[in-house]
Amino acid sequence: MADAFKNTPPAPEDKGAMTAENIAAALAGESQASQKYLAFGDVADAEGYPNVARLFRAVAYAESTHARNHLSVLGGVGTTAENLKAAWGGETFEITEMYPAYDAVAKLQENKSAQTSIRYALTAEKDHQGIYDGTLKGVEGNKDLGAQPVRVCPICGHTVIGDAPDECPVCGTAAVYFKEF
Amino acid sequence: MDDVFERRLPKPEELNAMTEESLKAAFAGESQAAEKYLVFAEQAEEEGYAHIAKLFRAISFAETRHARNHLRVLGGVGTTAENLAAAFGGESFEVDEMYPAYREIAKLQGNAQASHSFRYAVKAEMDHRRMYSDALAEVVAGRDIAEAPVSVCLICGHTVIGELPGKCPVCAAAKEYYRTF
Repeated sequence: MADAFKNTPPAPEDKGAMTAENIAAALAGESQASQKYLAFGDVADAEGYPNVARLFRAVAYAESTHARNHLSVLGGVGTTAENLKAAWGGETFEITEMYPAYDAVAKLQENKSAQTSIRYALTAEKDHQGIYDGTLKGVEGNKDLGAQPVRVCPICGHTVIGDAPDECPVCGTAAVYFKEF
Repeated sequence: MDDVFERRLPKPEELNAMTEESLKAAFAGESQAAEKYLVFAEQAEEEGYAHIAKLFRAISFAETRHARNHLRVLGGVGTTAENLAAAFGGESFEVDEMYPAYREIAKLQGNAQASHSFRYAVKAEMDHRRMYSDALAEVVAGRDIAEAPVSVCLICGHTVIGELPGKCPVCAAAKEYYRTF
């Protein structure tokens, strides 16, 4: 990237507590807007509005740039080793604390769809935790990950490195629907 | 989405208050994880870890699936007309209330970078609000919007339909830094 470009995005800084709280709230807001617009894009496609779908996806991308800027000001972007640690920590919190607590409440309240949505996420976060852990060990020895494809189930987010199973072990979706990276 | 998908996706349901609160928090968490991993991917690429970059993008996609699932259960995905109205409402809140308040506090606290990040966002949200309002008028009349390209500045998120400006009017990035949808 050219220097002119490098200089333009907002940089980390020491912040007042209220500003730090606001920038964190803005990161949450932009991230959620971006995700909503991606889901709305799929609906617009299904309803036969391809250009509205494209608009939603473009604006989702714009919100991603805002989320990235806010994250940068928050000091939330480190080296890849630091980022892998942060990612591992986030997944670990979701697996050991957040989703088990939410699942217990959803079971108590007999909210079935919520339980499904929580189970899909929790199961995939375990994949991610393991993958990040192995990847971090490589980076600590300055090694990139192998060149194998990473495949993701479009329904439940189940994530595998290498060959996809015939069908998703979590939600039963056929392997042909997996998205390959 | 075809039936294969529809059958397995978690559906909207009547949620108890505590479960609803859990799912909203989970949606916020998944959305932020998805955005963070995209930024971490760019960082990994800069450090020469091409396959780790790919991994972050794949896992970001998995979190996007979880965000969509939670949003569906919450009843947050409607028809395109409803989605455009919701998107318009969200942008209006950010333009009229959220960002002006955040910017005022950042100025008071002398946080220049935060102020910078808020300014980029609020400028783009004004564009988005207008585009959603125009698109809603078309969809209410049963029409898709025109096929013109939608381009987004990858620094500040400035969004334009049709011809690109010579440089970004908000952050002055050259037009090569726009991504076109």
